[in-house]
Amino acid sequence: MSNSHLFLKSGFPRAPLQNGLGRYVCQLQRITLKFCKNNGSSRGMRDFIENHLVDFAKENPGIVVYVKPRRHRTPVLVAEYLNGQREWLNCRNNSQSEISKWIDLLKTQNGSSSSLRLRKMWHTDVPSIQGPWTPFLLRSPEAQNQTYPSREISTPLDVPQSATEKLIELFKQQKLEAAGEGGVDGVLEQKRAE
Amino acid sequence: MSFLAQSVRQVLRHTTQHVSLNGAMRALSISPALLQQNKPAPSTIDVSAIAKEHSKAIQSVCEKINQQVAKSEQGRLFAVVHLCGKQFKITPGDIILVEGYWPPTIGDEISLDKVLLAGARDFTLIGRPILEPGLVTVKATIIEKTLTHTKTHFKKKRRKQYMRINFQRSPNTMIRINSIELTRPVEHNAADAPPSLRLF
Repeated sequence: MSNSHLFLKSGFPRAPLQNGLGRYVCQLQRITLKFCKNNGSSRGMRDFIENHLVDFAKENPGIVVYVKPRRHRTPVLVAEYLNGQREWLNCRNNSQSEISKWIDLLKTQNGSSSSLRLRKMWHTDVPSIQGPWTPFLLRSPEAQNQTYPSREISTPLDVPQSATEKLIELFKQQKLEAAGEGGVDGVLEQKRAE
Repeated sequence: MSFLAQSVRQVLRHTTQHVSLNGAMRALSISPALLQQNKPAPSTIDVSAIAKEHSKAIQSVCEKINQQVAKSEQGRLFAVVHLCGKQFKITPGDIILVEGYWPPTIGDEISLDKVLLAGARDFTLIGRPILEPGLVTVKATIIEKTLTHTKTHFKKKRRKQYMRINFQRSPNTMIRINSIELTRPVEHNAADAPPSLRLF
């Protein structure tokens, strides 16, 4: 990015006056075509006016078209929009097709677009319908009512049985078996061991 | 001592497995048949009963959704649509932008057919990958076609006498979402029906 972008305004997509909800209104109010009758630089503009301008005006009854001849000046397109913005476009040495493309662009846009960098490709008034996601969404009630710090949850799930624990277990088992055989003495011994 | 011997045996077994597992044969099952667990097949589970219960549950959910839609109590709907290679989460009144060349012009009213997901406050319909055509209609209007701000492409190589600067503006189309509607009741068996021949 160059330095000229440092002061470029940035924004979010917006449409003027709820446009498109219910009906669509073309935002171009009037367009002025300025040209010279003699100079070669406005030749494309003169061709456009001769061949296509009447059709354009008929197709778009909502747009006021002004044609302004002036001597020895470059051809210019000026578009004025419903939001008060005015876009000025130099058409020096442009061909007829180029001019018709530029006029089409001026017709289809809502205002001068060159001065805004879009930060998002989406705009909504209702960001969430089912509610925003939280980490507690769709969790079990036990997890909701858990108090922290909790010893059960803090331990890892896959702690293998250590050799010491296994030995102790085996020892107890032996004691129990001995108790089963030996009766009262065995039980006493087991208690002592514990 | 017996358990110690067992653990030692386990460790040994693991090492042999590791040794034999490296190389390109990893995908194949090369553990000997003795190590593989022979689980008895669960013969006692009745699959058809489970399926019946499942379908009954689905039916009740569908009925609830249809009742809600019939009373128009479902509130605002939202949808995820696929448009020009991107997915947008939209709800009526939204504005979305399509980047790059796209033929529709201002004032055109279009319907977005590739609906991946539609939902309301209490339910969500998820497509596999898209919902069946005709279930949800999404209407939209094109409201602006314009160019982006001027992007500068500046290239320079040091000490090589090379410098290029290009300016670029690409087309953008702004779309307003008008309405999202459920056109017909949600059916349980619709998913089992053969897919329509419509290709996007």
